[in-house]
Amino acid sequence: MVLVLALGDLHVPHRAADLPPKFKSMLVPGKIQHIICTGNLCIKEIHDYLKTICPDLHIVRGEFDEDARYSETKTLTIGQFKLGLCHGHQVIPWGDLDSLAMLQRQLDVDILVTGHTHQFTAYKHEGGVVINPGSATGAYSSINQDVNPSFVLMDIDGLRVVVYVYELIDGEVKVDKIDFKKASTSTSAP
Amino acid sequence: MVRKKVPEWLNSTMWSTPPSQPSSFNDDSTLLRHSPATKMSSMKKEEAESISVTPPPSTASSVPSRRPRNNGSSISGEYGNSSVAPSSAEDFSRQAHLSAELSKKVINMKELRSLASQSLPDSPGIRSTAWKLLLGYLPPERSLWSSELKQKRSQYKHYKDELLTSPSEITWRLVRSKGFDNYELKSGSRCMLSRSRITDEDHPLSLGKASVWNTYFQDIETIEQIDKDVKRTHPDIPFFSAESSFARSNQESMKNILLVFAKLNQGIRYVQGMNEILAPIFYVFRNDPDEDSSSHAEADAFFCFVELLSGFRDFYCQQLDNSVVGIRSAITRLSQLVRNHDEELWRHLEITTKVNPQFYAFRWITLLLTQEFSFFDCLHIWDALLSDPEGPLESLLGICCAMLVLVRRRLIAGDFTSNMKLLQHYPTTNISHLLYVANKLRSKMLV
Repeated sequence: MVLVLALGDLHVPHRAADLPPKFKSMLVPGKIQHIICTGNLCIKEIHDYLKTICPDLHIVRGEFDEDARYSETKTLTIGQFKLGLCHGHQVIPWGDLDSLAMLQRQLDVDILVTGHTHQFTAYKHEGGVVINPGSATGAYSSINQDVNPSFVLMDIDGLRVVVYVYELIDGEVKVDKIDFKKASTSTSAP
Repeated sequence: MVRKKVPEWLNSTMWSTPPSQPSSFNDDSTLLRHSPATKMSSMKKEEAESISVTPPPSTASSVPSRRPRNNGSSISGEYGNSSVAPSSAEDFSRQAHLSAELSKKVINMKELRSLASQSLPDSPGIRSTAWKLLLGYLPPERSLWSSELKQKRSQYKHYKDELLTSPSEITWRLVRSKGFDNYELKSGSRCMLSRSRITDEDHPLSLGKASVWNTYFQDIETIEQIDKDVKRTHPDIPFFSAESSFARSNQESMKNILLVFAKLNQGIRYVQGMNEILAPIFYVFRNDPDEDSSSHAEADAFFCFVELLSGFRDFYCQQLDNSVVGIRSAITRLSQLVRNHDEELWRHLEITTKVNPQFYAFRWITLLLTQEFSFFDCLHIWDALLSDPEGPLESLLGICCAMLVLVRRRLIAGDFTSNMKLLQHYPTTNISHLLYVANKLRSKMLV
């Protein structure tokens, strides 16, 4: 039972001051085992804040990130799932499912997490699942001015994943749930 | 008993040195023991003989005759056995008697209790069944055993399912029960994954009181504490702490039992030390040669642990420390007991050297003497504790008092530091001897 927090596109301090207080009150240390961040934090203070929630932090580079040392893409294995991480500004057209599917096949992962559109989406295609956690601060993007803050928490338990989507709509936190599972593979790595 | 002087039988040289083998005793007792038919009459004879040898004060002589017959045989047995290993004849006869008792259709609890009060033999299976009977887990009627066991074991399984399943598991069961079609990765078409709104239901970051996730995270601290303590239990005994999968599964079982107990008793939750009380119970049940008992040791141990702890619950609750049922009052009672039996010792300990009984008796009482003696000696002591019809606390206080009285010479000669050292690292003693003295003290109390 592994809890993985996926968020990104915070754009602090340029487009937003901080995470919404209702989100901050929920994100307490000790509950989450991994954080995967799609990028565009942009400053070190946010990096440090995320580190306090969970020491295992994975970040990829967004186009506005001030730390140039993050990599462009990352893959990691959690439980039985392979997760891929990329900011998404590299994938043209932005947010297009076919192109993202190509990236997913390239990275060879079951779940691809990307951002940049500041809009939560969750698609399924033949190669796997693509999740976009949206913007955790509700920062505006070049294509969308009116953004609801959102982030994603995944509960990976064996071959099953439950995705909890937290959105701030009209000042209230709404939680949605998506569940899916993976067929057990014949080549299982111990 | 008018004078508070130490009775002579207590100061008799018999207790501090190996007996110079009053051989006439031993021969008579072993001869007599080989004829079970004459057992009852022989016991009276042995008592008479034992009384004639020691010069007891008048009150002490009335004591042996008042006690149940079985203890009579043990007294004379002790003379021959106090510092050597029990003679096989004596052991064999007690074992035979016990096995006979335990295989009856309806067990005579009084008989069992009196047999157990001088500790049970170590042969496999006897202790396990005896403890289950003494703790009231099994009813005295043998015919009811299988139905009782089945019911209790299924109840424990139910507790485990209810309390120990992870929140993820619970979520998936809900999903399955609602018949949702789980999406499979890498199957079929591309589409938006459908979402269902669950704001009012449970989610991992929920801070609500009724949230399964919230309780899970709050329990993590308890779980960690239990985990640490179980790993530290009896590191010298392979059953608990070897690298084998057997030891690991034992640790898992103990953790489950303690966690279920903590969740069912939100009032006292888990307190450090409960693992020490659980350890002997679980060890005895798990090592039962009977396959059925051994495989269900976890469930059986849970209920027996609850039963045993029910008499001592109040000691674990901090608010009750100073109340009549709390630990302080138990310590005071012990102190009173010592004073009644041995005024000189009491005065020396508490007044002259200012050794507050709380310094040593706290651990003796709350952990039921598990930390003072070796594990296997503890099992013998617990036989006596569990056999007490008035509850283990009475016997416990008696044994603590006996422990003090047995080292009285060293205590009286010592100062604060040496007495504290002695009492906090109690020297190894002959357990049957200790139990005998404790029994004698208790029966004197009833005078």
